[in-house]
Formats: sequence, structure tokens, C-alpha cells
Amino acid sequence: MADEKVIRIEPVTRLEGHGDVTIKLGKDGKVKDVQFNVTSTRFFEKFLEGRFAEEVPRIAERICGICPVPHHLASVKAVEAAWNVTPPPAAIKVRRLLINAKQLSSHGLHFFALAAPDFLAGPFAKPSKRNVVAIIKALPDVGKLALQVMQYGQDLVAAIGGKAIHPVTAVPGGLLNPFSEEKRDRFLKMMSGLKEWMAQTLDLARRVIEDYWDPVTKLAVVPTYYVGTHDKGALEIYDGKIRVMDPEGKIVADFKPKDYRKYFGEYVPDHSYATHIYYKPVGYPDGTWRANTLARCNVADKMKTPLAQEALEEMRERLGRPIHATFAYHWARVIEMIQAMEEIDLLLKDPDIVSTDVKLSDVEPKRGDGVGCVEAPRGTLIHHYWTDERGIVTRVNLIVGTNNNISGIEKSLFEAARQIFEQKAHESLKLPEPMIK
Amino acid sequence: MTKSRRRGESFEPRIVAFCCNWCSYAGADLAGTSRMQMPPNVRIIRVNCTGRVDPLFILEALYQGADGVLISGCHPGDCHYTSGNIKMRARYALLQNLLEQAGIDPRRVHLQWASAAEGDVFAEGVSMMVERIKKIGPNPMREGE
Amino acid sequence: MTIRVAFAQLTSCWGCDQSLMDLHMRLLEVLPQLEILYWPAVVDYKLADLEALPRNSIHVGFVEGSCRTEEDVHLLNVMREKSKLLVAWGSCSCYGGVQGLANIWPLAELVERKFQRAETITDARVPDVNVPPFTEHIVPNPDRVKFDMILPGCPPTSDNIYDIVVALLTGAPFELPETTVCDQCPRKREEKHITRFKRTFEGKPDPEKCLLDQGYLCLGFATIGLCGAQCPSANSPCKGCFGPPPSVKDHGAKIISALGAIADIDPEELKKMFPDPVGSFYFTDYAASYLAKIGAKKREER
Repeated sequence: MADEKVIRIEPVTRLEGHGDVTIKLGKDGKVKDVQFNVTSTRFFEKFLEGRFAEEVPRIAERICGICPVPHHLASVKAVEAAWNVTPPPAAIKVRRLLINAKQLSSHGLHFFALAAPDFLAGPFAKPSKRNVVAIIKALPDVGKLALQVMQYGQDLVAAIGGKAIHPVTAVPGGLLNPFSEEKRDRFLKMMSGLKEWMAQTLDLARRVIEDYWDPVTKLAVVPTYYVGTHDKGALEIYDGKIRVMDPEGKIVADFKPKDYRKYFGEYVPDHSYATHIYYKPVGYPDGTWRANTLARCNVADKMKTPLAQEALEEMRERLGRPIHATFAYHWARVIEMIQAMEEIDLLLKDPDIVSTDVKLSDVEPKRGDGVGCVEAPRGTLIHHYWTDERGIVTRVNLIVGTNNNISGIEKSLFEAARQIFEQKAHESLKLPEPMIK
Repeated sequence: MTKSRRRGESFEPRIVAFCCNWCSYAGADLAGTSRMQMPPNVRIIRVNCTGRVDPLFILEALYQGADGVLISGCHPGDCHYTSGNIKMRARYALLQNLLEQAGIDPRRVHLQWASAAEGDVFAEGVSMMVERIKKIGPNPMREGE
Repeated sequence: MTIRVAFAQLTSCWGCDQSLMDLHMRLLEVLPQLEILYWPAVVDYKLADLEALPRNSIHVGFVEGSCRTEEDVHLLNVMREKSKLLVAWGSCSCYGGVQGLANIWPLAELVERKFQRAETITDARVPDVNVPPFTEHIVPNPDRVKFDMILPGCPPTSDNIYDIVVALLTGAPFELPETTVCDQCPRKREEKHITRFKRTFEGKPDPEKCLLDQGYLCLGFATIGLCGAQCPSANSPCKGCFGPPPSVKDHGAKIISALGAIADIDPEELKKMFPDPVGSFYFTDYAASYLAKIGAKKREER
């Protein structure tokens, strides 16, 4: 019999934010508890009170420097819902282009810079080898591919939003800035290059999944509920209905975002400043759900675009539906990148994208409340604002995309910890020769 | 030190008064030479016009521990530089909102008009300011002196 | 020649790291010259690795974010101890950041709203296991430790980051400009005579004329000229997120000073137009303002 042991990972790296992991092993060597300790928060829910509502899209987006765009858009949608404002159709198209550009670069950043190094260098490599800087040095082609994909997305965000990080264009009633023809032409010209880069990215993802097939299918496979947005059954990130799937694969809820309070429960753990969002009708922790790429691919019947649909079918053929394998998130991420690319292509080719009719000039603030919902890269994102008759925010409720995943993360960590500490899985799993040594 | 011990008889407010040269500073002078009763709590800083009073000076004075800041200038329409006092009046309006929102009693900052001939108005304004500040209490920045 | 660097993230949004990543192809030029000793954003070194480094062994330490928890304070102190040169990276690090707006309220009210009163909460409690205590209010990093350089911005542009890294690599001086956003802004400026301030959902901003001339609250005139006037170039008013030029001690005070001079508006009307001076005039630097500090002192007394 060993002693009780507490293992601390301090901090978790390659993420946006602050988190530690605490694993408690009992005297019998069994995993007793796993905590994901998110160790900070900034209280946006309070300090957005008293602000002009039309300014909030530029304040609330500071929640995240990787994904300011979804916050910017969910925020403006919330104000428009509160004030009963419908922007011109061309403005909606440009906002779609904006969110897809961000999806592309954010997923690219995650895949290449945050996740891939552990796979390309192998999980047991030293940190000095197991990072994106080392990858860029050791595999210059992969490095170049990564930078090109991310740059396309970031430059397109900046071209629409004014800045790549914390864009400025969305206001209640539309956009301050139409998308110019010159910029549209520039990005359309680069599209064939992007298509080639994405094909290479999919190849790389396939190779990684193949190499790591054992861990993908055996390690941290945890059944949970899933939540994501769809538009008539197709995976959707700007505007649609929210679907919830149970661990057996049955769709148990399908609703408009404004009804979110019936379905989104918020559990405050004692060990994390990030709360746990869960499926309210079933209670906590049974209602633990996951959002983000794999969840969206699970709840959707299909992708919106052909190449992405092909890729989804390939993943489902190998792993089924719903897929509970945590590592499949990376595969789903690349599939979503392909849809983002195809959506960008369609929108750039749409003549409305350069329309100058992108802003209403007769918007009136009013007392009311409104819900704005989009899919952030990390999950379903909801901004709910209450405003007074002057259009000043009096109250804010936020469901931040990532909070949908915290309970699921703990669940998958618990399973992985069990497999590793109790079953010594790291010794028995088949791992490849790393691509870089 | 608790608040109750600082308030009351022992608390003597320290007030900074920015006075414009052409009207209020002369008015203050007149109050002095006429032997008008005026509490001694005020330190006068002469500026050529209240338009010269950058809101930064007011906030700096509060930050340094002034319990109150008085700005005294020419009546609107009488400014030696035409509209310096109008600028001050607009700045003062925004400053009032800011003080309130920041949780600082806006009465700690007061804008008044007193011409060169109105020594009595000046003296009265100072007395009222001191009374007001006595009731509000000392500037929290003075703790630990 | 390589320099040994470390990048620490306090409480922030990661935007500064993203801005560094947005060097894109220029990363291929810059990264080989940096020996990374600590950078949790992209490298799996742990806090213990940083704490084990000898004093002053990091040539240049970059600190992003501000101190919202005691753990942030600890990390800031460790970075100061281990770094020869310490850079305050981004407006959060220089001035407290947008989270400084929370200084309007006492900590208890912030905690209550977030963990106990929010509409979707089903199990209210205040977390206190394996999480660090919060700081009472945001105190800007330069008020806690001495920095050798500051680079404001929300975030600093990729060009700003490139310039400062090149300066550090070559030993060239890096100074913040005393100019403002107006110096970089391409718009036509005419007479400033504002009878009404417009909110951004009103009308349609003319892309050629000065936004402030048109009545939109553009704060470029009081904001340091580092960003290339990105927002006015995108038809959007400047919110002042890079903070003031170096010689201005209180950003909002300077803004009020200028607005008072150009507003041809009845004072009572003017007050009605600006019900939120803190939010409008101190976007990323309220924590560094005189009034926030006085307010903090006031709460401490209680």
C-alpha cells in the first residue's frame, strides 16, 4: 500500500488562460479525484454594467485575444436583439465572412501551435523539442504551412474588422465599414493557395491520427452529452439553433438561443474560477456536456460544404457517431477548418460581400434584453444583455464557449489518469516514432 | 485610524483654490484687504485663467491629499480671454460625472464665479466650501500622515 | 547571437501573444534568435522551471496581463527577480487593462455577481480550493515592480513587437513616441466645433473626415501614436486602448480637458451625453488613474 499522493500540473500549458491540474491518488493507488483548477477570472459580468451597449462589442471581445471575433459578434447580436434591430443582409454576410476567417486562423493556431507539437515530437519529448518553435525549426515545411494558413485567416479578419485582434467594425445596425472590392479581390486570388494548404493540413492530420490510432481510440474515451449549433441540420457557426445530443447519440433538445436558460445550467465548483456549464434538465454532473469541434460534428447531421462533408464522412466511417474519443477533437478541428475555407470561398464570390449597404442609420436604443449566440472555436457562446432606455447596459450574463467543456475536461482527465496510473496505459499503448527527434 | 476620530472638531480641511488672475484672485485680495472673515484652510494658486486649469491639476491635487479643490473665475461673458471659463465649465461638468462614478464625493470639487469686485462672494464661497468638506470628511489619501 | 527570453502571462486575454504570433513569416526571422526559457503559451515548461532559474538569468522578460490574483503577483515578482530587463507588454501590463474597469466596485460585489447571482447559476458558492485569492483591486504592474521598458497596446501591433524585439537584439534604443494617433491618421481635419456627440450606431461615419469633427467620440488626440491609427482607418473611432503619450499622467483627465475645449454644448446637456466617463475615457487604463487609486484607498480604510 502506498501513501496518498497529490500530483500537481502547474500550470497547464498551450492554452489561453490559467489552469492547473490536481490529481489525488488514494492509498490503494486508485484515482480519487481530478480537478481542473482554473485560477483566474476578470469579472466581465460585472464591469460591463454601466457601459454604452454599442461599445460593449469592443470591450467584451477582450475576453479572448485568440477568439475576439465570436465575442464581438455575439455581443452585437445581443444588443440588436435587445433593441429589436435587424442589420442589412449584406452586413450579415460580411459578419459571416469575419467569423469564418477567425475560425480558420484560430483552429489553425490550435492545431499547429498548441496541439500538434505533442504529436509530432512525441509525448515524452523534452519541452524544448515539443513546441511550435522547435517544429518550425525541425520541420520547416510544416512550419511554413502553419504560418500561411494562420496568416490568411488573420489578414482577412483585419481586412474586415480593422484589426486582427479585437476588431472594431460591428455596431448595432450593421458594420461601420463595408468590405472593399480591392480586398475581396486580394483574398480571392489567394484562395487556390489556401485550398492547397488545407489539403496538406488534412493530410497531416490524417497522418497524425493514423500514427496515434491506439491512443485516439483507447485513451480518454468518455461518453458525455454534446452541444452545438446547426442550421437545418448542417454545422453552423454564425446563426442557427442549438442542439443537444445525449451520450447514446439521441438528439434530446433543439431550440432557439433565446431559450437558453431552460437548457444551460451553470454549476460553480469549489475548485475553479471557471464555472461548469451543463445540460440543465438532467442535473449536474450527469448533464456534463462538451462543446467545441467534435461536439459540433456530433450534433450536426452534415457539414454545410462538400469537401468538409467528405472529411466528416471519412471520420464517421472510422469512429462512428457520436464520437466520444477526446483526441478526435483535433481531427474534427481540421474538418471545421475545411468548412471555414469553403464558406470563405463562397462568400468572397458573392457580389453582395462588397455592398456598401451595411449599416442602418436610424437605430434607436431601448429598454429591453437580448440574447446573442454564435459558435466560438471553443464552443457555444452566449451573450445576454439587459439595457435601459438610454441603451446603457444594466446587467450581463455570459456563457463563455470554453466553460461548456470544463466538466468534460475533468471527466476525460479522470479517465486518462485512471488509465495511466492504475493501468499503466502509457506503457502498453502503441506510439509511433516521432516525426522530429 | 477610524473615520469618526478624524471627523468633527479635529478635522481641518486642506483646500486648494485655483483662482484666475483677472477676477477671482483680485477678488480674494479684496476680501483680504477688507478684513472679511474667511477660514484659513485655503491655499490659493493663481492662474491666468480658469481655462488654464487642466482637470489633471484637480485630480493631482486630490491624489496628493487635498480634501477639496475650489476653482474660482470670471463670470461667463467676462473672461479676460473670452471663453477660458466656458471651457472650464464644460470640463467641470464632465469631471462631476467622473467623480461620482469613481465613488468620490463630487462636492469635493467646486466651481464658482467671483469678479474682482466681489470679495464678499469669494469669501462666502470659501466658507461654504470648508463647511461642506468638514461634513464630507478627510480625503482617504491622507490616511497615515 | 541569441538572447534568453521569457514570456509570462498574468491575468489577460492572450492578445499580446497572438500579436507576436501574427508576425507570421517574420517569425522565421525572429524566433531563431530567441532562446526561450519560459513561455507557457506555447512551451510546456512549468512554473517550477521558472522559479528554478538563477537570478537575472533571463536577458529579457515580457510580462503580459495584470494582477487579479495573488498568484499573478507571485509570478510578476518571480519574473522581476529572474529577468535582467523586464518589459511591461501590453496595456494590461502597463495600465491594468480593461479589467481595471472592475475597480469601480468592491471585490465582494464582483464575486457576488459572477459566482452567486448570475442568471444561469444553479449552485452558488465562492470557489476557494486550490485557487489563489483575488487582489482587492487591480493595481497596475508598474506600481508593484520596476520595469525597464513599457510597450502599451491592446494589443501592441505586430510591428510594435517586431520593433522592440529588433531593438533588444541589436542593442538599439527603443523609445515611446510623444505623438498621438492623430499624427498617424489619414483623415482630413477641419474646425472642431461640436454641438452634439454621436454614438456609433447613429448615422454613417464619413470615411474621409476626422471622426471627432463629425461628432463621434474619437480619442486619438490624447492617445499615444503607436498603432498606425488602425481603428480610424477602419471607420471606427479610437477608444484610446494604447493609453496616453508618455508625458500624460492621467489619460481621462487629458481627454476631459480637450473635450471641454471643443464642446459647444450646454454643461447640463454635456453631462447627459456622458453618463459613463470611466468607460468612455479610461478604456484600458482606469486602474492607473488618480481616481481609481483614491477610490481604492477609500475602500482600504473601511
